[in-house]
Amino acid sequence: MLNMTRINKVYRTDLVETRALRDFSLRVDEGEFVAVTGPSGSGKTTFLNVTGLLETFEQGEYELDGKNVSRLSDNERSRIRNEKIGFIFQSFNLIPDLDIFDNVDVPLRYRGLRAAERNRRIQEALEVVGLASRMKHLPSQLSGGQQQRVAIARALAGQPRLLLADEPTGNVDSLMAREILQLISGINESGTTIVMVTHDPEMARYAHRNVHIMDGQVTEVEAVDVHPTARQQATDAGRIHPL
Amino acid sequence: MRPILSALLRNKTGAVLVVIQIAITLAIVVNALFIVNQRLALIGRPTGMDEAGIFAFYSFGFTPDFKAEPTIRQDMRTLRGLPGVVDAAPINLIPMSSSGSDSTLTTKRGENMPGVNAGIYDVDEHGLNALGLKLVAGRNFTHQEVDYIDPEKDYTPPVVIVTQALAKALFPNGDALGKTIYWGGKDPSRIIGIVQRFYGNNYSGHIDWSILLPDVVTAKQKAYIVRTHPGQRDRLMPKVEKMLRQSNPDRTIIIMNSMTKTIADHYREDRAMAVILTVVIALLIAITALGIFGLAIFNVNRRRKQIGTRRALGARKADIIHYFMVESWLMTTIGVVIGSALAIGLNYWLVMHYAVPRLTWYYVPAGIGLLWVLGAVAVLMPALRAASIPPAVATRTV
Amino acid sequence: MFFYNLRLAWLSLRRNPVLSVLIIGAIGLGIGTAMTMFTVYHLMSADPIPQKSSRLYRVQLDNWNPDKPYESPDHVPEQTTYRDSVALMKEGPAPLSNAMFRSFTIAQPLDTDKPPYPVTVRVTYRNFFPMFDTPFEYGGPWGKADDAEAHQVVVLSHDTNERLFGGKNSIGRSVKLYHRYFKVVGVLKPWRPTPRYYDLTATAFAKPDDVYVPLSLTAPLQIHQGGSTSCWKDSGSDFEAFLNSECVWLQFWVQLDTPAQVAAYKSFLDDYVREQKKLGRFQRPLNNRLRNVMQWLSYEKVVASDNSILLGLAFMFLAVCLVNMTGLLLAKFLGRAAQSGVRRALGASRVMIFYQHLVEVGVIGVCGGLVGLALSWLGLRLVSGLYRNYEGLTQLDPTLAGIAIGIALGSALIAGIYPAWRICRTSVAMHLKTQ
Repeated sequence: MLNMTRINKVYRTDLVETRALRDFSLRVDEGEFVAVTGPSGSGKTTFLNVTGLLETFEQGEYELDGKNVSRLSDNERSRIRNEKIGFIFQSFNLIPDLDIFDNVDVPLRYRGLRAAERNRRIQEALEVVGLASRMKHLPSQLSGGQQQRVAIARALAGQPRLLLADEPTGNVDSLMAREILQLISGINESGTTIVMVTHDPEMARYAHRNVHIMDGQVTEVEAVDVHPTARQQATDAGRIHPL
Repeated sequence: MRPILSALLRNKTGAVLVVIQIAITLAIVVNALFIVNQRLALIGRPTGMDEAGIFAFYSFGFTPDFKAEPTIRQDMRTLRGLPGVVDAAPINLIPMSSSGSDSTLTTKRGENMPGVNAGIYDVDEHGLNALGLKLVAGRNFTHQEVDYIDPEKDYTPPVVIVTQALAKALFPNGDALGKTIYWGGKDPSRIIGIVQRFYGNNYSGHIDWSILLPDVVTAKQKAYIVRTHPGQRDRLMPKVEKMLRQSNPDRTIIIMNSMTKTIADHYREDRAMAVILTVVIALLIAITALGIFGLAIFNVNRRRKQIGTRRALGARKADIIHYFMVESWLMTTIGVVIGSALAIGLNYWLVMHYAVPRLTWYYVPAGIGLLWVLGAVAVLMPALRAASIPPAVATRTV
Repeated sequence: MFFYNLRLAWLSLRRNPVLSVLIIGAIGLGIGTAMTMFTVYHLMSADPIPQKSSRLYRVQLDNWNPDKPYESPDHVPEQTTYRDSVALMKEGPAPLSNAMFRSFTIAQPLDTDKPPYPVTVRVTYRNFFPMFDTPFEYGGPWGKADDAEAHQVVVLSHDTNERLFGGKNSIGRSVKLYHRYFKVVGVLKPWRPTPRYYDLTATAFAKPDDVYVPLSLTAPLQIHQGGSTSCWKDSGSDFEAFLNSECVWLQFWVQLDTPAQVAAYKSFLDDYVREQKKLGRFQRPLNNRLRNVMQWLSYEKVVASDNSILLGLAFMFLAVCLVNMTGLLLAKFLGRAAQSGVRRALGASRVMIFYQHLVEVGVIGVCGGLVGLALSWLGLRLVSGLYRNYEGLTQLDPTLAGIAIGIALGSALIAGIYPAWRICRTSVAMHLKTQ
């Protein structure tokens, strides 16, 4: 699904130069669920920004879904983000002025879909996360966990090939965290590749593979036994439909 | 100071916008204030008349039976006898109104001698008192000197009274009293009196160059000046109008106005300019204050965490307020430095194109002072708000 | 996408009502002030008779003092003498020419309960009406015979007919002016050329006169002028002498439709003056002038310098408001940079973010324009109250309203382009991590 070879990313200010990624290489297969861990300042966030085409990099090659995306224009990167990538952020990043329906609508608008098609997708995505009844609520009227589920619905509605999650459970309580992880696992089951950055080893265990980053380089790759309870619960929940 | 400056330089755009705003504001305010004060000074000049006590109007005879001279004589007796009236006089035209008549006066006989143009006012011996003019030299006209003359007839009075300003224009040495002047270099008149000041009309370009003649032109359309005791004017105006109308059905009374209103009308455009510019200055100051205020609020909100951290590290509330005040002062100061140059440039342009006088120097520092105060006042509220940010903000992550 | 962005703009304005009001208020105030001054200036410098302003010429002859120019060699008398006016009317090779002056008298309503009241009188040839395209409500100009034989006929202005006859058709009825009777032959429709180009004496923006009578009555009725008279020589001892004097007090206009006619009229004037020189008049160098309406208005400096100053200051004021607006918009947009970051992450291109913010700026511009229009209406009421005779100069028409909205939209876009550009250029990743 994604293949990064010897990527370098340097942040420069007047005084300091920080090499956030150094000769960074990683390959993620289609359908995989990869958790990326590492201490603060290790380059996790940079890795996610580069993967999500939010930032560019100086050297190296990045292939996404069979296409080299290393040196695309800003416009092309916007289009790929819109069509192939879904984002889930630690702080949800819902737009506070828009209600739930309109929030899920945002990526679909930029894809230029017709109104009927957008309506159908929004409806379905919200049903998947169990919030179809809250469509007209504003984000501020929902709990943290519900907001994160809206963010997941927003990512799902775009039918992404790759879902990027940045500490998706960082701002919710542990019970809700588990529920969200189960949702994400379910999405993975239905075929979407998932890359999740987290510092929580407990959450990382939901993934097929753990990648540890330190000083901008992959230091350790570890296959994970699938968390038995997690798998069990996700199946039991039975709410995960391929879209 | 240095850290504030570098913080300012980092948020360049906002600061630059405020600086531009302050610069243009200073340029406009300085020039507008200057023009306003000039106009107010113009409007406030004393006319030499008893402005508050006088009213004036025209008696207009409109039938073939109308006889001007007896009417005027009768009217004057009536008016002067009215309780509340100080004095009354016939006059050719109402001073400070839009009508005026002027003629060229010379100090030597002969055609095409250089001379000055003066506003002409024909009155009788009551003229000075009715207008409330102050005689500073010589004497008033006597009853015997006043002639009633036919409007079609050429007439030159043997004696005249002039204003000090006209006397000085004619005889710069200051010895005008008793001297002879010539009408268009021809017929002579002798100056027997000098009044301190009498604003007549502006047609000669000098509103204070006025000359009084001892005659009553017996025209069908005749202006009257009535001077009243303090507080009596408004009561007497309608009364006089009604009385004179009724006393003679062959004429009507028109254009009756108090001198205060006539003078206000005379300066109408100057007052309009002053009012409009004052409104513009007020709005401009409000808008600029808003701009400084808006940027400060924006900066406070953006730097909440930084301010909290400073507080956590031991900054007192006063230090935070001081920080924002100094920041605003810096922007204002850069703005007024550029603005001073703009103000002088704008004035130069106005001088070149619109006959506006050169700016008096102290308007620029006055404007700078005003904007300094404005900058401090506008930033006070945001600074207080910044000071009230709790130090605990520093430890909060979201 | 436009309507989606329109909805986003509306939501955004509602989100920060105070800031939105401040921004819209700032541009509204700027537009209101600028449009108030612009309207006055625009109407002051307007062409009062666009259909023929280039074909109507004011005639100036230099009959002034041989030893002293009128104002300067370039500034010859604006008005003409009675004797020259009458002579030029008789002989001039122009399709239309007209001499006239303004007088002042008392009108006596025939209902005796109404008091006599002062009216202004235009004493003129009948050519006034076709020459200046005066619209008639009833009747028309008097005939050539009335001019030739000095009949006591009158044309009334709309207002005078309202006052004397209650607005009814008064053709054939009599009007008492001073103590003489005049037969009504025409009544004008409401008519207010602004500026009142054909006679600028006293004030350029006053209403036209109340009644019109034939100029041939001047001598028999001894009609004195009520405008301005300038003399450099004795005005004579009686009225007849005054009419033959060198005093200038009439306005003389000709209509010349082709360059050939202009040239012909010019040489006619020169010939006339040369003839007069033989009689001992016109001792100054040959210096006749023909100025068409717009040249005449600019020569007479109809737009006061105060109005030019105010216009300049008002647009500087607008500039301050725009700089102010740019600052507030920048604060507003950067204040929710995170939202744009999310939109960018979800696939919005820079252009789309730019477009979204530009639509918002456009909405602000239109709102500001409407506020500005309301404020300029108020401003014009204020200005009209401050000046005399400004009624004709303080009217907002649809064109001016359109200009106001246009300037508002244009200036809002100018003020908004930088903030919108800034926001669409901000780094996407920066705002996603924390909120």
